[in-house]
Amino acid sequence: MKLLIGQILPYITVTLFTLGVLYRLGRWVGPRIVHNITLSPWPKTNTEVAIRVGSEAFLFRNLFRFDKALWFGAIMMHLALLNIIGGHVVGFGFLGEQFALIPGLGISPELSTEMSDMLGTVFGILLFVALLYLLFRRLTLTPVKLVSKPSDNLWLIYLIVLVGVGNIMRLFHDFGVGYEQVRDYIVALALFQPVTHMELLNNGFFLTHYLLVQILLIVFPYSKLMHLFGMFAERWIVNRVYKDPAPGMPNIDVAAARRAGIGIPSDDAAEEGV
Amino acid sequence: MPEYKGMVQPVRATPDEMRKIFAEPVPDEQKPEKAIEYLDEIRKKFRSFVVAMESCVKCGQCAENCHTYLGTRDPNNIPANRAELIRKIYRRYFTLEGRWFGKLVGAEDISLDVIEQWYSYFYQCSQCRRCAHVCPFGIDTCEVTFIGRQLLHWLGITPKLHAAVGGAMEKVGNHTGLPKPGIVDTLEFMSEEIMDEFGVEVEFPVDKPDSDIIYIPSSADFLLNPYTLMGAGMFFTYIGANWCIPSNVTEAGNFGLLFDQYYTQRGNVNRLLNAAHELNAKKIVWGECGHGWRAAKMYVPSLADRPVRWPLTHVHDEAAELIRRGELKLNPENNPEPVTLHDPCNYVRACGLNDNMRTIMNAVTVDFREMNPHGVDNFCCGGGSGILFDDPEMYQRRIQLSQKKADQVRATGVGKDGNGILCAPCSICKAQLYPMVEEHELGVHVHGLIDLLAKALVWK
Amino acid sequence: MPCLTVNGVDIELDEDGFMIDPDLWNEDVARAFADSEGISELNEDHWKVINYLRDYFKQYHIAPMVRKLCQETSCSLKYIYDLFPSGPAKGACKLAGLPKPTGCV
Repeated sequence: MKLLIGQILPYITVTLFTLGVLYRLGRWVGPRIVHNITLSPWPKTNTEVAIRVGSEAFLFRNLFRFDKALWFGAIMMHLALLNIIGGHVVGFGFLGEQFALIPGLGISPELSTEMSDMLGTVFGILLFVALLYLLFRRLTLTPVKLVSKPSDNLWLIYLIVLVGVGNIMRLFHDFGVGYEQVRDYIVALALFQPVTHMELLNNGFFLTHYLLVQILLIVFPYSKLMHLFGMFAERWIVNRVYKDPAPGMPNIDVAAARRAGIGIPSDDAAEEGV
Repeated sequence: MPEYKGMVQPVRATPDEMRKIFAEPVPDEQKPEKAIEYLDEIRKKFRSFVVAMESCVKCGQCAENCHTYLGTRDPNNIPANRAELIRKIYRRYFTLEGRWFGKLVGAEDISLDVIEQWYSYFYQCSQCRRCAHVCPFGIDTCEVTFIGRQLLHWLGITPKLHAAVGGAMEKVGNHTGLPKPGIVDTLEFMSEEIMDEFGVEVEFPVDKPDSDIIYIPSSADFLLNPYTLMGAGMFFTYIGANWCIPSNVTEAGNFGLLFDQYYTQRGNVNRLLNAAHELNAKKIVWGECGHGWRAAKMYVPSLADRPVRWPLTHVHDEAAELIRRGELKLNPENNPEPVTLHDPCNYVRACGLNDNMRTIMNAVTVDFREMNPHGVDNFCCGGGSGILFDDPEMYQRRIQLSQKKADQVRATGVGKDGNGILCAPCSICKAQLYPMVEEHELGVHVHGLIDLLAKALVWK
Repeated sequence: MPCLTVNGVDIELDEDGFMIDPDLWNEDVARAFADSEGISELNEDHWKVINYLRDYFKQYHIAPMVRKLCQETSCSLKYIYDLFPSGPAKGACKLAGLPKPTGCV
């Protein structure tokens, strides 16, 4: 069983995740953007497009404009999540000593590990709380309740459990795992070598956390989590460069028309001496 | 009575009326199966639809931003849920998760009930795109409504109003069924009226060969909006344009956009281009019609069956440009009443007319008050996408759908003394608001924007 | 399909109560419509409006612009609403046997 989860499943997971995402994106690429449905006021240059889409993707501009509470919950959740994922990569990769590698700051490896611990703890708790808030919102606000399907709530609960287990490992060192062991384990996996430190999986919390992540990745392409890509695909359709045709009508000379008194009845015009 | 299991529905076209617009109704027992077949075809064609189907996270932000939900508080009128009416079917038949997890992810089998649900709710949506505007991802629920209506049309379910409009367009080239003699008579009447009221000589050339400009008015202007029609005539006369109205296309609207983007919309586009070709025109200038301007500006390029030789602009674009260049002599005192502007949704969210409307407004009125919110954030009048149904149930619903707009107008205070002007430069908005300002007792008159511009023109 | 029976003749109406076949119209039909519209008696002004609409329709196959109707019959829009509570299109045109106007009206 351990061999399956620790040595075989990860390859299946990565394969299924990659193929699944590609399959899903392929389904989006096939159909065309048939008509121009860009939303106005439209961006006039690609830089403006990048700013518009970037501000939506990274600052959640529309949420900020129209629902501050949701914006706060969403940005906290995603920001914490981004840091947690990044933290996993560099934390395990550099064993928590990543900050010491930044030249000019004079951070000692020990301080870096402490900083790494602290950041992990803060973002872990932030993520947990933000997820709880989003679930609370989904269960209490009428319009959100009305649009929710069971799977919407289940995903939040799933993530809350996943993050909760991670937080337990971080907060209680007895339940935690060593950076070094995990790094060696991952490196072995990545190099297609027999994995080391299989004893990691004896830790029930690690096993649960690790398994939940793998299941998540497998299901990812068939879930709402695809909004990660959907966001850009949709913006690519509705925020495009558009240039208005130049105004100006053929053979129009307003000044001449007014001088000629067009539209003014002729007897009037005579009076005015036009 | 137009109701199905407690859902309001517009009166539907008879099979004969459907055949007049070249659609063959599908028998009830085949409808579910055919719906899936058509849906499959469409999902392989429109990326806007597929991405909308697969990207929504149900954050719920669209709910409080939709005038339809605000006015009716019907859960299915929340844009995310309205899209869900079709998404549940899409999931069930075209996604793995829907096939495997069913109800858990909200997948559902197709049935006649679902199709009737589509008919009720896709025709309560105004396709105003406010939900797309506020959605964090930009999911365009309007596209989903378009496609829902397209499927319904192919199944043979189209409101009588829309089908009648399609039929009239086929027959005479406009939505109200105006034949050429009626057009000419009305335009002569307009010339007389302009002379009486403004003391100006304005002619409305019809089908004049080699006109530089063909002007495409909304046919509703011929029945209900005299000042918009007069305004356009006065504007073109004032600037000394060589222009005409083509009797073959006296219609700025294109209901094809709203219920059949294949045959009907394309047919209307080609009819327009033929008219421009026959009159040897150099430019096409559009009149006051929201959805129609979107259909022209954004869809003519992708629906035309030939290179489009004629630049298309809106009369507001041209007027605003002339104002900016200082070529029009205007006296805003001619419009002394307090005035507020209802932004037609298609103008501001699909056609970029926001600034130009305000350039004109500020130049031709003295007491212009903005609504809150306005411009791109504005709410629909409640009639958008031609849901101007008159039967008692749907009419009641129209009153609900205009509630938000009524609150907005009231808050500006323009109707306080009963002499306010609600400028709504779109025929659907006008047709919706004429009765609605009475229903909500707003103390305002509804006008177009070119109406106000024409009043402010200084001729001598 | 709703129906109106006048002098033993069945007249087909659409869902909004407009005549499907305007050729079946006669003055008794107008009176029957008046009943259903809650107009107790058709006076001279009612007939002036109805007759103008019919004449115009016969010539142009369309209802006149509302503004023209008001001018030609010397009735203000408000007065037309007094005469025909459902208004010029849904009231007067219906009594005159014109088909229901379509489009953005």
